[in-house]
Amino acid sequence: MTADVAPAQADLVVGLVSYNNAASAAAVANALRDGLARHVSGVSSRLVLADCGSTDGTTARLRHSLGGTEQLVDVAAPTTAELLERPYHRIPGKARALRALLSSAKELSARACIVLDAGVESVTPQWLEWLAGPVLAHGFDLVAPYYRRHPFEGALTKGIVSPVFRALYGVRLRQPAAGEFVCSGRLVDHFLDDDIWEREGAQVGIDLWLASSAVSDTFRIGEAALGVRRYRVQADEALDLATTLTQVVGALFADLEARQERWQRVRGSVAVQRFGEPVGAPADAVAIDHERLIESFRLGYRELRDIWTFVLPPRTIIDLRRLMDASAATFHLDDELWARIVYDFALGYRLRVLARDHLLRSLVPLYLAWLASFVIEVRDRGDEDVEQRLERLASAFEAQKPYLISKWRWPERLRS
Amino acid sequence: MHHVKQPGHKAIAGEARWYTRAVIYEVPVKSFFDGNGDGVGDFPGLIEKLDYLESLGVTCLWLLPFFPSPLRDDGYDIADYRGIHPSYGTLEDFARFLHAAHERRMHVVVELVLNHTSDAHPWFRRAREAPAGSVERDFYVWSDTDAKYSDARVIFLDTERSNWTWDPVAGAYYWHRFFHHQPDLNYDNPVVIQEILGVIDFWLELGVDGFRLDAVPYLVEREGTNCENLTETHAVLKTIRRHIDEHWPHRMLLAEANQFPVDVRAYFADGDECHMAYHFPLMPRIFMGLHLEDRQPIVEIMQQTPALPDGCQWALFLRNHDELTLEMVTDEERDYMHLAYSADPQARINLGIRRRLAPLMGNNRRRIELLNSLLFSFPGTPIVYYGDEIGMGDNVYLGDRNGVRTPMQWTNDRNARFSRADPARLYSPVIMDPIYGYQGINVEAQERDGASLLQWMKNLIGLRKLFPVLGVGTLRFLEPANTKVLAYLRENASDAILCVANLSRHVQPVELDLASFAGFAPIEILGYTEFPVIGEQPYFLTLGPYGFYWFELQRRDG
Repeated sequence: MTADVAPAQADLVVGLVSYNNAASAAAVANALRDGLARHVSGVSSRLVLADCGSTDGTTARLRHSLGGTEQLVDVAAPTTAELLERPYHRIPGKARALRALLSSAKELSARACIVLDAGVESVTPQWLEWLAGPVLAHGFDLVAPYYRRHPFEGALTKGIVSPVFRALYGVRLRQPAAGEFVCSGRLVDHFLDDDIWEREGAQVGIDLWLASSAVSDTFRIGEAALGVRRYRVQADEALDLATTLTQVVGALFADLEARQERWQRVRGSVAVQRFGEPVGAPADAVAIDHERLIESFRLGYRELRDIWTFVLPPRTIIDLRRLMDASAATFHLDDELWARIVYDFALGYRLRVLARDHLLRSLVPLYLAWLASFVIEVRDRGDEDVEQRLERLASAFEAQKPYLISKWRWPERLRS
Repeated sequence: MHHVKQPGHKAIAGEARWYTRAVIYEVPVKSFFDGNGDGVGDFPGLIEKLDYLESLGVTCLWLLPFFPSPLRDDGYDIADYRGIHPSYGTLEDFARFLHAAHERRMHVVVELVLNHTSDAHPWFRRAREAPAGSVERDFYVWSDTDAKYSDARVIFLDTERSNWTWDPVAGAYYWHRFFHHQPDLNYDNPVVIQEILGVIDFWLELGVDGFRLDAVPYLVEREGTNCENLTETHAVLKTIRRHIDEHWPHRMLLAEANQFPVDVRAYFADGDECHMAYHFPLMPRIFMGLHLEDRQPIVEIMQQTPALPDGCQWALFLRNHDELTLEMVTDEERDYMHLAYSADPQARINLGIRRRLAPLMGNNRRRIELLNSLLFSFPGTPIVYYGDEIGMGDNVYLGDRNGVRTPMQWTNDRNARFSRADPARLYSPVIMDPIYGYQGINVEAQERDGASLLQWMKNLIGLRKLFPVLGVGTLRFLEPANTKVLAYLRENASDAILCVANLSRHVQPVELDLASFAGFAPIEILGYTEFPVIGEQPYFLTLGPYGFYWFELQRRDG
């Protein structure tokens, strides 16, 4: 570890994870510098950088823009395997970087530790206040961001991750796998003691697993509305949907397996307190052609139906057959059917009825069917209606939780 | 101030009272899997099968003796406390095994045979040559006459006529509570205690998580007593516990004391002796209750079971490597058990019955499941005997208790895939009869059969781990008029589980007084099925033959 000035204690640690973010480095650094000076000036703070082997001069640019007030922690360079895996969050070796940041926060006895991604160029100085405030002033332990998004943006989170997370862990976090968050010193200790770091798939799943680790104990959880999250992506960095879904949903399912003794005892769900910007700037528009989605589902049905029969019960296959025959005008995937499909895939993942990667990739056309159905339903609706629609979806996942539990406890019932 | 050794990477660090949440699997190394093809199971073989044990869901392995030994009592005749019998591997193999088990979050408990050694142990060889009255001679209990301690019973009635055997080298009798080739150590000699503490440190330093203390009631002898459960014996155990608490936090002592619960209670003392002890009398009474189709024997023994100090726990089992012991029942009850479960005299040994669980249950799947449901829902930590999770059979013609110690049945290949050796070279023949033979009863087949006993056991173990109240909660029996039904509540501060079991071969109705839970909904745990909300009236249930329910009682009235 190198340090220009290294205080023994800091109330607030702001950790920045970077990997080839030279293009956004100056903007991010300026926002943080201003934020520390103007929005959290009353507390002692420390900026800590954890770079994951950038080759574009990210570290030098960040340090230059931050004026040498930061501390750099060592993060082992990504392995070839990690580079080849290309995680959806674009940061190879991210788990190591987060662990190093949290360890640094612990060494500094920080009361709060904010973690940010150096590629998020929409960060504003106020983010530091909105994130740190709930922990430092109100005793919260974890505050996850709630980004303003177009209804069709972040659909994987809306359609699978968030409703499953809520139904299973009983906490209504809308974006539980976000790369940015703040945690209390108490939670830092808890995170570092958890076994998530050594789990297979930690490089990809760590963001979600930190959230599930926090909600699996008695920590106070909140959300901070931060406005829009804009991430600078190189053209060659974009992952295909199948790979992203495999990674994100795989991390979610792996966590279900690891925390089964927790979520089977959770009943209902609770809302979390929201902090931050009450009304954000409008999100960028996203155009989706629902007819193409439906066609992808139909193609998937023809090609993958036999695979689906490994995990889905006959009545679900029949329902999907009906859906395939539906026109675009009548195309509708029932929420409870979708919840059961996701849960059956979670069971199939747990029981390894197929190679896990193959199983998750076969979920893509079904997810596209859900997305098509969702797009058709909300395309002309306002934000409030979309929120209500997502609330109904999440309620369906909660209502179907006994379906998952009964099969989880008696796996021979898979496909029945 | 004492030096406290940190658990470090060798043991599973920092899990206080882990044994109260454990599911223990009893495994003889020689019987599980042969890694080097010599016909005897070994540590390399056991390492290969850890994935199986992890998938079964057990969280603690209790290893039967694996120390250098003449093997005249299946290894309980130890000739070197700090080594590994060459048939089972090396100390390095053991360390590798321990590391691999810990990596899978499984604790490991090994045997500590305190009461006696083999007559081949160097301590005994040295003792018989040493002058009378010397420290070396006094490692064991000697007498010029075989009349001392005449009030002590002979335990192995089938093979031993006295607790004394003449040693021509020493020119004296030596004391032994078990086989004559197992001389008892003399715990009146403080050097013996120091040596044993050194043995304890040796294994704990390697990383083992606890000891099963074999035959603890017999450590010290006093004239005019039956030489069992003496105050001086408890003093020895307290010394051992104090040593462990001071140097090895979170390690566990499990006492084997085949006594009535009220006598076993003393082995917990004030929480400063053993952490766990077997509940021996429960086992035969469960079998008796099942055969009588009456809950009374079970309720009676549980009501005679005293409360334990904080942090202490009963160890429960249905079957183990010994006979189904009937020492702790009345003569009449013993007769009943023999008539009910061992009509073939060949199945009897000492005062018990040398059979596995499945044959005792007539291979009736419902009965096997029912008994396991009791094992996993009574207060205590359940112990599963290797092979019982697939319904393995036995061979009562193998002599001693070897019939319940046959090779684990992995597949329907040669030697049940236990070993690649020639069949004649195996330490024991595999089970080959038409009902329990390895061709039909094996792990491979049951892993592929979603409805197999093995899959059922995996599920049950998973549920047990999901509801820790089943291990440590209070027990309260209900008293329905139908005595063929056993119903009880397991409760702690946050959970309440209602268990109902039909001990009869026929469908049974039962009305339960659950008024104190009015407004609660019973959720059947296995299928997560919600039953009608409990009211003020008796709650009516019907149970299928040998059926059982576990209900989680969830508040529904706001």
